Amino acid sequence: MNRFKTLNARRLSVAGFSFLFAYILSFQFEGQVLYSLLNLRGTDANPYIMTAIVAHFMGLFTCGLFVKSQTVAKNMMLGAMGLCLAATIPFFFPPSSLWLVGLIVSGYFSGCAVAAWGFFLRAYTPKNEYIKSCADVLIYSNLLMIAVNVVAMNRSTFIGLGFSMLCLVIGMVFIWMLPLEQENEQNKAFKNKTHGGIKTPLILLCLFVFIITINSGLMYEVINPAFEHLTRLVSWYWAVPYIVALAIMRNLPMKAKRSRILYMGMAMIIGAFISFMLLGRNTSDYLIVDTLMLGACGIFDLFWWSILGEMLDYSDNPAQTFGIGLSANVFGVLCGGVLGMTLTSIGLPSAEVAVIALTVVCLTLVMLPPLNRQLVLLLKNHTYLTAYDNMNQSRQRDIVCQIKTLDPLTPREQEVLQLILSGKSNREIAGALFISESTVKTHVRNIFSKYDVGSRAELISTLLKNQRVE
Amino acid sequence: MKLIRKRRNGYALLLAASICLTVWLGKAFMLEAVFAFGATSLISLLLLVRQNRLLYAARLICDNPILAVPSALISMPGRQMKKDTEETVVSTFGILIGSKIYRWGLDGVHGVRLSAVQIDKERMYLTFGDASKTMRVELLHGMPGKQAILDAAQKLLCETGVTAKIIN
Repeated sequence: MNRFKTLNARRLSVAGFSFLFAYILSFQFEGQVLYSLLNLRGTDANPYIMTAIVAHFMGLFTCGLFVKSQTVAKNMMLGAMGLCLAATIPFFFPPSSLWLVGLIVSGYFSGCAVAAWGFFLRAYTPKNEYIKSCADVLIYSNLLMIAVNVVAMNRSTFIGLGFSMLCLVIGMVFIWMLPLEQENEQNKAFKNKTHGGIKTPLILLCLFVFIITINSGLMYEVINPAFEHLTRLVSWYWAVPYIVALAIMRNLPMKAKRSRILYMGMAMIIGAFISFMLLGRNTSDYLIVDTLMLGACGIFDLFWWSILGEMLDYSDNPAQTFGIGLSANVFGVLCGGVLGMTLTSIGLPSAEVAVIALTVVCLTLVMLPPLNRQLVLLLKNHTYLTAYDNMNQSRQRDIVCQIKTLDPLTPREQEVLQLILSGKSNREIAGALFISESTVKTHVRNIFSKYDVGSRAELISTLLKNQRVE
Repeated sequence: MKLIRKRRNGYALLLAASICLTVWLGKAFMLEAVFAFGATSLISLLLLVRQNRLLYAARLICDNPILAVPSALISMPGRQMKKDTEETVVSTFGILIGSKIYRWGLDGVHGVRLSAVQIDKERMYLTFGDASKTMRVELLHGMPGKQAILDAAQKLLCETGVTAKIIN
């Protein structure tokens, strides 16, 4: 019964967010509806687009400051979606200052609504199924976006805008129906045991997301304008490879190696830029370039969305963690966009622009595998430390004794290791053992050397490989 | 340790002075002098870095003392030398004899390590080294009774993992 309730709540939560996100993708955040409206009125798009992106970034980044519980998150989502609805109405009328105000309001509050959903993503997603929840919301919202885009580009921009707003209304209904779940104390205590916080993994993830999305920004500015003449095809095919990639990733077995998929995505994105340089600008060329590019985007997006989802399990404030993670994505799009705009505005031939863009893409992609490795190690570290803390002392001792070292640890090093595994920092260990911090650092270095590892995270990972955590 | 600190400060002063002179002479376009003082800056920087490392190791040794004794005799295969100093500290991470540092256990399994300890009524013998070189230090430990010797052996075991051989 309880499982059924959770499943139902999960569906409601996914549906509500998908409709909200469809509104954002089709209109507020560089959406086709917004571009069509600005084009229709003959207005310079850049200031509006940039304002909306910056406001959205601010909303995502600051939401965690005032949303600290599920109740507030629900109210925030409903209120923010209502405000977005009101702020979209001026777009049915000729351009005025209300357009800019509307984009600032809708940008900021849609960011807040998205970040606040972090509470529901955590509450209604079973452990190890974040990839499925994230894939679901991305697939459904992109399907809805395609539908809105097709209407906006082939029928009427205003009908498209109306559909965008309808998405928002339906999303509000689903969020309103969403039950509130009281987290039990034990669960709360588990989540609050953050072992120095998730700050480092989150910063690393933000860097990871930022690098990935710089490429998306470049793609928007360099590749998209080249295929503008294929309006009909672009209106529906644009996000199809993205959705297919998400669907494939969603249904991959749990044991599939994520790093291999990441390499595949990198190969696809490089392939897309090379095809863009070598091929022409007709329909089949577009299909090849877009399939490679958007397929890679789907892989990358689901990759970091699911990692961000997993991080929520160790966060005190999911709205803050989710918001900051997504704001890195928005910031990446912004920087990539500015980079792309700078490249195109120099007036270089398109082939040279593509070569420069490819160079930037290659340079950024080189950084992904080491970042991914560090991120995975940090997350494993986090997962393990929490499990380790829940074990009794004799079991903790067993773990340390079972793993072979190059040289036996001294009794002092064993004490230090126990404290490392309790998630204590060097300073805390120094305080606990009444020794100086530099002494602790030396002991820690020696322990690493004896386990033949290079970092604390790698040490924990070694322990994890050798010990089945219950 | 005082001597190491003094030397470190001296090198720091030398570095600062030589940099200032290099800049000043550079402004005056005295190229030969600029090269000379530039080289001095570089050398003093290297010496400063080295001395800083020594000071760090000395501090580490002084922070983790196991035994402090008035004299030490250092022996190496092929030669022997005696050193009487005011400050000899045996610690988890090495031995500090005046301003001379013999380190162990600072570079994990691949560096210099303490390999054996022997203690008798008057002296303590510490053998340490790596694959290429081994050294032996002999100390007049000055510990009054058997209990004090056992305590020191226990502390050595806890801190370095080496079991001291106690000779009656």
